[in-house]
Amino acid sequence: MAAATREVYWNVGPVWPMYLMFAAALAVFGHGFYHRHYKLWRLGRAERRGASPRERLRGLALYALAQLRVLRDRYSGVFHLLFSWGIAVLTVGTLVVMVHQDFGIPVMRGRFYLYFQSLTLDIFGLLAMAGVAMAAAKRYLIRPDRLNTNAMDGLALGALFVILAQGFALEGLRIAATGDPWAAWSPIGSAIAAGVKALGWSVETARAWHAALWWSHAALAFAAIAALPWTKAFHLVTGPANIYFRSLEPKGALRPLDLEASETLGAARLTDFSVKDLFDLSACMECGRCQQACPAYNTGKPLSPKMVILDLRGHLREAGPGLLAARRRGGAAGAGGGDGAGGSAGAHAGAGTGGAAGVGGVAGAGPQAGEGPSPLIGQVIAEETLWSCTTCRACMTECPVFIEHVPKIIDLRRYLVMERSDFPPGMQEAMRGLEARGHPFRGATASRSDWYRDLGVPEMAEVGDAREIDVLHWAGCAAAFDERNQRVARAFARVMQRAGVRFAVLGPEENCTGDPARRIGHEYLFQVLARQNIATLQGYGVTRIVTACPHCFNTLKNEYPRFGGEFEVIHHSRFIARLLAEGRLRLSDGAGAGAARRLTYHDPCYLGRYNDTYDEPRAVLDRLPGSERVEMTRSRDRGFCCGGGGGRAWLEETGARINHARAGEAVGTGADTIAAACPFCLMMLEDGVKARQGEREVSVRDLAELVEETTRPREAGKGGGGGADGEGGGGGGH
Amino acid sequence: MRIVVCVKQVLDPELPQRDFRLDPDGKEAAPGRASRVISTFDEIALEVALQLREKAGGGQVTALTLGGKPAEEALRKALAMTADAAVRVDDDGLGAPGEGLGRLDGFAVAAVLAAAIRRLGGADLVLCGRQAADTDAGQVGLLLAEELGVPTVASAVSGEPAGEAVRLKRETPGGYEVVEARLPALATVTNADVNVPRIPKVKDVMASFKKPLTVWTAADLGVDPAATAPRVALRRLFIPERETACEMVGGDSPEAQAEALAERILALKVLETRGWRHAGAGLRFRPGGGAGQAASGTDRRRPRPGGVPGR
Ligand code: SF4
Ligand code: SF4
Repeated sequence: MAAATREVYWNVGPVWPMYLMFAAALAVFGHGFYHRHYKLWRLGRAERRGASPRERLRGLALYALAQLRVLRDRYSGVFHLLFSWGIAVLTVGTLVVMVHQDFGIPVMRGRFYLYFQSLTLDIFGLLAMAGVAMAAAKRYLIRPDRLNTNAMDGLALGALFVILAQGFALEGLRIAATGDPWAAWSPIGSAIAAGVKALGWSVETARAWHAALWWSHAALAFAAIAALPWTKAFHLVTGPANIYFRSLEPKGALRPLDLEASETLGAARLTDFSVKDLFDLSACMECGRCQQACPAYNTGKPLSPKMVILDLRGHLREAGPGLLAARRRGGAAGAGGGDGAGGSAGAHAGAGTGGAAGVGGVAGAGPQAGEGPSPLIGQVIAEETLWSCTTCRACMTECPVFIEHVPKIIDLRRYLVMERSDFPPGMQEAMRGLEARGHPFRGATASRSDWYRDLGVPEMAEVGDAREIDVLHWAGCAAAFDERNQRVARAFARVMQRAGVRFAVLGPEENCTGDPARRIGHEYLFQVLARQNIATLQGYGVTRIVTACPHCFNTLKNEYPRFGGEFEVIHHSRFIARLLAEGRLRLSDGAGAGAARRLTYHDPCYLGRYNDTYDEPRAVLDRLPGSERVEMTRSRDRGFCCGGGGGRAWLEETGARINHARAGEAVGTGADTIAAACPFCLMMLEDGVKARQGEREVSVRDLAELVEETTRPREAGKGGGGGADGEGGGGGGH
Repeated sequence: MRIVVCVKQVLDPELPQRDFRLDPDGKEAAPGRASRVISTFDEIALEVALQLREKAGGGQVTALTLGGKPAEEALRKALAMTADAAVRVDDDGLGAPGEGLGRLDGFAVAAVLAAAIRRLGGADLVLCGRQAADTDAGQVGLLLAEELGVPTVASAVSGEPAGEAVRLKRETPGGYEVVEARLPALATVTNADVNVPRIPKVKDVMASFKKPLTVWTAADLGVDPAATAPRVALRRLFIPERETACEMVGGDSPEAQAEALAERILALKVLETRGWRHAGAGLRFRPGGGAGQAASGTDRRRPRPGGVPGR
């Protein structure tokens, strides 16, 4: 068996022309790589993305090799795995030939030859062909909306198929002509050889065909490599790189913006994006998975995350070379930085006469680089597109190559909001409210202390020192000012009181965390609010915070650390789950217990996708006596947004409503109760359910409410503190 | 065109009723936790001034306030909206200290503001909100015109330069009217869709902290504090007591509830009935529990003072 091998480069004559072709292919590839991609990336601002290589490599293994993200669409994932791995293995096979013959290392012999170079290659080649066929079926027969198909796609799939088929034909002809004794290890080649024999071809005919096929096979394969930079298949290169350089920041933390040092606040032009942002554009292979998951796109809004990326890419290719040329010219002047119109910046000198009362060390207006029209917004990406995003992160969760859509959308919003003071209708009032009153609810008639007035909940100002309490209850604006959510806040406070948790609230000292401001693009206002809140919290020495609002939760937990506010932040779903697990709450015969109930749980984006909390809320629900839980088709990290995130809760929605769509899905499960764990989801879904009036009666309840009605007030003896359970007289507005 | 806009800082008019308190001596609203903002119509006046400056292709907008140190926040806001200069006249020692809101009356405020405007070298146009969001008195603008001896246009919503004059669009009960006033002039400003105050750009906000702020005292202006004693005295400030009683109407079915509710309403005699059960006509609502006045003639266009206009 040790003799098993075959004659390498049989029947092909001198091979140097092949290397020449290969070199040419590489040259063309290099040219495309540089001009179509690399040089354009350099237009972006510098951004460091290299830290924690270990974690990055792990991601590479999971998402580039194992392709876990691709597999989120089972069918597409399978065929992609088939042909990508097929091609990879065949490429290795080709390299083995090179090593054996050209490097003179005789590896192609014996078992390795039989098992790998013959059998394995045959199998993978076949799988790859099956994969290509499946891909064609998806694109041409199933035709999902997410795919846009053009001639290039057909050409690429066809070429791939032909290359693979040529390989098998070559093998068959060789076997037929040489009578290879090891042919049994190449089953497909053997089958083709049998066919050739059946045709009655002479050895000469087979040889002639083989030679011609061999060179055309090589030519086609090299042409494919050369063409990569011009095709979607370029993600073969950029995809893994993009996965490697993916963001390792907490998912819920937007990139901070240095308000003082930034020339332009947000992104007005391509050069305001970072290198990585522009690199992203080269990685997109137009699979449309982001679009398929997008709630805005799915309800007919003028937003598709895929088109955002493709439009930016189109603009980069169009305008990029001009910008580069301009930069080279400007660079000579030594200015660096801004592209295009940067030259005539009128400096707003802030001459501080008369020792003016300098409030805060905010640097004044530098050169007004941000002024002037944006070549991007309105031209390339419409404003309505930007405002349509709920920042639900579904797109980023689906994208197989970790393209970052949301930060780009936010950067463009930042420019509109901060440089142009251009707000979507409705947002202006919310922002004014945030500025003047620290909350975005216009015309609120309640005060921050209304909801707990009769519950005996102490305020931090009375407690004085956070060491006196177990945890600070961060109520959030929705709980304070929205009547429906006041009931949730009351329920949660009672639950904590029943469990003997010592807690307090900030009450009137609480401000909005700044989440709506930050996500609508008003970084300045966000930072003002964040700093105030952090100072208040630190003033009391607060270390642990519990909140029922996933938006507050995310901001406090993931965004405040950047501004010096490090706290242990717990969402109420986890907090309640823990109280239940520790036996501090008994779900027994509260008023609502025992009633059979069919529940479905809606995952809030900022709890689920942003903070990976899927199980705790479900664990709480599963403990409710008499309850049965059903899942919606789109749940957990595939959950469909309620439509309220990213500042959208304050905006008018046009056309089909996201919350109606989602409420429809929830009602469709046959559930009689929709469980929410977010004040905005609660409002949006309740509204959505109301819009379907006339159907079954379905209620939307927060977890805390469900738990409250199945627990009992503590016995009169009470313990710990936290005040009396304000149930007795005329408590909640149920 | 040199425009001076008089702005007053007031307690946030959107303060929830529950949080609204009075000082123990009943002469002033207690600031408590309420934020301080530019009085609603004054902010609108500022917007009208800035738009005028834009239309004129240049000019100078000065924000002028009378108040203590905290009032500088209102001026910062004006600077952030891109006013060119800001002046605060310190109210220390003016009027009748201790009288809270009644400390200065319209006459006194107008006199001080007029002195400040003269000190500024006069103005082509002075703009004032049509009334303050806290006192709703609506006097200062008109009295100030009197002090300055210039013509007044009330309830303007926008303006544009017209040579030696200013063309102003003003609101009338039935619509709008366009007038021209020879400069110098004064206009009081009311809200409209076209003058919703701009939200300052962030760079302008940051720059506003670096812009100079002029502070004058009464002495600087040559105003005799004694002459600012109020001619109208505030006697009492109070929050009206409102009694509400809630009554639940019972009933097992929606029909029964509706029936019970109708009976109850009839029993309360707030409705006049003329056989409505049968005819369905002749149902008339009389507000005020049957006081007999018709529910018409409510001026719905009048904005809630201090409310957010432009909606
Ligand atoms: S974050 Fe959500 S709404 Fe925004 S583009 Fe992505 S999927 Fe669409
Ligand atoms: S951004 Fe990602 S998910 Fe969207 S089309 Fe491109 S590669 Fe696919």
